[in-house]
Amino acid sequence: MGDFLNIFIKSAFIENMVLAYFLGMCSFLAVSKTLTTATGLGLAVIFVLGITMPINWVINEFILIPAELEFLRFILFIAVIASTVQLVEMVVEKFSPGLYAALGIFLPLITVNCAILGGSLFMVSREYNLTESIAFGLGGGFGWFLAIIALAAIRERIRYSNVPPALRGLGMAFLITGLMGIAFLSLTGIDPAVFAGWSGVAE
Amino acid sequence: MKALHDFVKKFEPDHGTSPFLHTTYDAFYTFLFQPPAVTQGGVHVRDGMDLKRQMVWVVLALQVLYIFGTWNIGQQHFSALGQHTGLLEGFHLKIVYGLIQVIPIFIVTHVVGLGIEFLYAAKKGHSVEEGFLVSGALIPLIMPPDIPLWILAVSVAFAVILGKEAFGGTGMNIWNIALLARVFIFFAYPTTISGDEVWISGIEKIDVGVYASEAYNFVHHGFDWIFAGLGWNTFGQGGTLVADGFTGATPLGIAAKEGWEGVSAVYTQSEIFWGTIPGSIGESSVPLILFGMAFIMFTRIADYRIIVGGIIGLLVAGFMLNAIAPAELTEDTPGIFKFMAIHPLRQMIMGSFLFAITFMATDPVSSADTPTGKWIYGFLIAFIGLIIRVLNPAYPEGWMLSILLLNTFAPLIDHYVYQANIKRRAKRTSEMAKTRDELITKRNDDVEIFTPQNAEGYRPVGNVGNY
Repeated sequence: MGDFLNIFIKSAFIENMVLAYFLGMCSFLAVSKTLTTATGLGLAVIFVLGITMPINWVINEFILIPAELEFLRFILFIAVIASTVQLVEMVVEKFSPGLYAALGIFLPLITVNCAILGGSLFMVSREYNLTESIAFGLGGGFGWFLAIIALAAIRERIRYSNVPPALRGLGMAFLITGLMGIAFLSLTGIDPAVFAGWSGVAE
Repeated sequence: MKALHDFVKKFEPDHGTSPFLHTTYDAFYTFLFQPPAVTQGGVHVRDGMDLKRQMVWVVLALQVLYIFGTWNIGQQHFSALGQHTGLLEGFHLKIVYGLIQVIPIFIVTHVVGLGIEFLYAAKKGHSVEEGFLVSGALIPLIMPPDIPLWILAVSVAFAVILGKEAFGGTGMNIWNIALLARVFIFFAYPTTISGDEVWISGIEKIDVGVYASEAYNFVHHGFDWIFAGLGWNTFGQGGTLVADGFTGATPLGIAAKEGWEGVSAVYTQSEIFWGTIPGSIGESSVPLILFGMAFIMFTRIADYRIIVGGIIGLLVAGFMLNAIAPAELTEDTPGIFKFMAIHPLRQMIMGSFLFAITFMATDPVSSADTPTGKWIYGFLIAFIGLIIRVLNPAYPEGWMLSILLLNTFAPLIDHYVYQANIKRRAKRTSEMAKTRDELITKRNDDVEIFTPQNAEGYRPVGNVGNY
């Protein structure tokens, strides 16, 4: 459980997908104009990351590695992600047509959201086990969600500001993302393991 | 007064032909006099208390810190050299030494920051916004006394252009300007401002454990000439090695490695409290900061919710870390756990917590707007800040970064507070409507309840029914 929490905190706050690795920028910048749509997309990303990560882990561990088919990793991961996104799309369309219309093309585009494929590849390269990969998926998704709603809230606040014309819209979004990245640097380097206390053995 | 006003008015340049001169003139004019435009008639606010006057209160509260900081720069310099170690010995030397360090920093900050403000105001064609007054007073106080001036100029330009003017000027920024300037130096020129190296002005590290003072320059020699004429102590040539046992580390730099035991071996608790320790120019003296805090809280420039919330947050985080730390500290205990074991009240007086929560977190523009949001905002600044200070080995101090982090989330906190408020009021209204409906049904069913309709001799008024 402690391990689960460590990885969750680490992937959500300390190694934030957007603000530390700058992954998943396209939908991050495009769908952050209002908080409602940003919240919807953020939740969708949490869901997709949380589901694809363990599925990809199982596929990687029990199919790709035993059969020595690691070179198929990209294709299979993308296929899993695409089908999950398809599922999410159908659910959103059924239960929240308004959100479906607001998200528009960006909902199917979660498929190519680099945060999601990036998450799966990080999982492989860091050699997580199943619970760790679930924690990493949920944590990474939560970090992405937090970043996009913070950006959306800031963009809503500056909507009526007298921003220089050349910077309006995406320009400001880039600038804000950079400054948010600076603010998030505050947490890089913290090791959540110290919360557990000291075992009393010198390293 | 009238004559003076007329005299100043004579210099007013034309707005059309020379916008830059006019905005510059206008800035100084409104600084000296109450703005001439007040609302006529109606029930509008007719006070001359504008943004500029409100900000001057903060600047006034900072003046004591400037005076103390100026003296403290000299005090630290000379006590490192082992000269004039008494607090009031060589007082003139310490003040002059401090002024030689502070005045260039102050001038560069204002020339760069205000220059950009004036240019932007002229370009946008309106009067100069006053926003830089407080930032300009705060930036020198959070800089190390030895900061190279060109780095300072670059950082101020970064903060004012990207942090403020890009967002639409005064009152529109999301992040605190003074802290953006500092964080820029912190990440772009880390060796200048890392916070656990030498923070004493004019002391150079020659080798490991060997420090020497820089040679004095012509300004000092000019003052030497005056002091020698008066028969007072003089600076001398400089370039001497420092006293034995000098480390130059700040209390936090030591605490991160050795905990409170290590700190108390070098600095006494009262030294840390009164602020005669190395550090940024204005951060060190607790009593003077408390005085400034009382002053701006009393004048209601700063919101007490942020400050009180911050102190609560620090105590909560401090006691939580105390609980995590092992009960008995031994030689083998890693420094991070020794740091955790420090009592929260000691954490409060070490470093710059009080300065940051008083003057940085309470910035009304970049903080949360709603009262509930302010409690959350203040609490989280202190909570996260202490965690960064203690648990993050990369940064010796956490407040700058935690305030910037919470500035990022302030609009979001506000949003959720608004939503909760809307939800609560909608619920209240629907409950009221429900009660009202129930009452009406009850009244219609029960003739015993007195209503005009079942009163004797009731006759509907107006054109209703079979009249």
